[in-house]
Amino acid sequence: MSDGSPPALPRLTLPLSRDEARALRLGDTVILDGEVTITAGFPTHQRMAEALDRGQPLPFPKAGSAFFHMGSSCRAEGDRWVTNYVNPTTSTRFDDYMPGIIRRLGLTATGGKGGMGRACVEALREVGGVYFSMPGGASPLLSIGAVERLETAWDDLIEQFRLSRFRLDGFGPVTVAIDAHGNSMYDTLQEQASARTPRILEELEQARRDSAARRATPPST
Amino acid sequence: MPITYDVVRQVARDLYGWSLKKVPDDTLEALAEARRRETNPTSQRTLDFMQAAARAAEREDRHACSDAGFPTYFVKIGTRLTLDGDIRRAFVDGFADLVETIQPPILKFITHPLTLERSYTGKDMPIVSFDVADGADYMDITCSPKALGSGRWADLKVFSYPKLADIEGYVMECVMEAGSQHCPPVVIGVGIGGSFDNAAKLAKMSTLRRIGTRHDDPMVADMEERLLAAVNKTGFGPMGTGGDTTALAVHVDYSHGHGFVPVAVCFNCWINRRTAARIHDDGKGGRLE
Repeated sequence: MSDGSPPALPRLTLPLSRDEARALRLGDTVILDGEVTITAGFPTHQRMAEALDRGQPLPFPKAGSAFFHMGSSCRAEGDRWVTNYVNPTTSTRFDDYMPGIIRRLGLTATGGKGGMGRACVEALREVGGVYFSMPGGASPLLSIGAVERLETAWDDLIEQFRLSRFRLDGFGPVTVAIDAHGNSMYDTLQEQASARTPRILEELEQARRDSAARRATPPST
Repeated sequence: MPITYDVVRQVARDLYGWSLKKVPDDTLEALAEARRRETNPTSQRTLDFMQAAARAAEREDRHACSDAGFPTYFVKIGTRLTLDGDIRRAFVDGFADLVETIQPPILKFITHPLTLERSYTGKDMPIVSFDVADGADYMDITCSPKALGSGRWADLKVFSYPKLADIEGYVMECVMEAGSQHCPPVVIGVGIGGSFDNAAKLAKMSTLRRIGTRHDDPMVADMEERLLAAVNKTGFGPMGTGGDTTALAVHVDYSHGHGFVPVAVCFNCWINRRTAARIHDDGKGGRLE
């Protein structure tokens, strides 16, 4: 800290162990390494849920691993798939499917942007998993840590909808926004905003009165 | 000299491409100002990261967001202009050119609303609205791609003889509904009055106004100021993980109408994608932002 630069963020390797996931606290900001499965696809989630309901295995994510709501574009370089860009997508649109996916796969880490609903928070608490919030719209920097795509599955889907397994190296920063103990930053913030609303509306009313009075008074010469 | 199909096609292509790779200057300034005010350490880090990412997008010619959305254009045609060729078609073809040439490539985002199938083309794509500018000898084109992240939180409600408190209360309801999810800090557009469709368009056009400008009507300017203060007291913060800045601006506009008053509210995410160009009747012109 002596040089004025912020302290280096802690690094974690995916998949997290259940103990690592449970040790994380709301608001912890970390950098990620390791492997993660990503998709931005609504039909992908439907297909995952249907397969799991029928007891069929998924190509990935594996049990106990990490699964993020992210879109991606890659290009071939030799025999590797190098990342053009990745970016998180809105997680709540998968709320119908995620509780089942989290439970059946025992995911230790999920992620995306904007949070997930209460049933997902409960599922994460049961299995011991967390949700990482990633910055949306910051693709040029976020993509640096999503080094390469290792493989895809369900290639009949469009690129960003396929199940895509990525290797991460220095991915982030990401923030723990739902922990493994039933706490959600989104719920807390929503409750806080609701609690503040009566006061906010009163202050708006006062500001309206002030504005009307100001406009009723001719400017002094 | 007329403005030709070829010129409009090229501008349509360029505007969309630019909009994906640059966060507008007024928005960068507003983010920097938000960072100076922000007291929450996580949000300070988020705002730093956003600004650095925006600079990297422009410097390295990369997409600010992986979701390129779908193209929307607003075209204002000067009444002293003549046009040569199929101008509506120029937007369709300009977007097709972009899809073919842009690097890195954009993904399929244009979605059939009934089947949810995705493509690079579609019915009524790009969405283009035309207006005229009396007496002008130029054409202004604004491009504002829209994606689900902030697009899905737009809302409209029709009131009958509302009080100001009803309208402002509704804006706050929309803000609460979106909560953490629209990639804040956002620019909020509020359109009031006229017809149903007019209010929606006013709201959208209001998001395109430069941050830091005030409405000409002091009554509306005051409303913008107090709504911005109110939104930022909610505490959702940058990326919705808590903080002092949930909105960079609230822009309001109105039209006279009847006793029924439609109120539309829409949001632009923090990258606030927006570019504009002006083409003069000699075919020359350039990027406005």
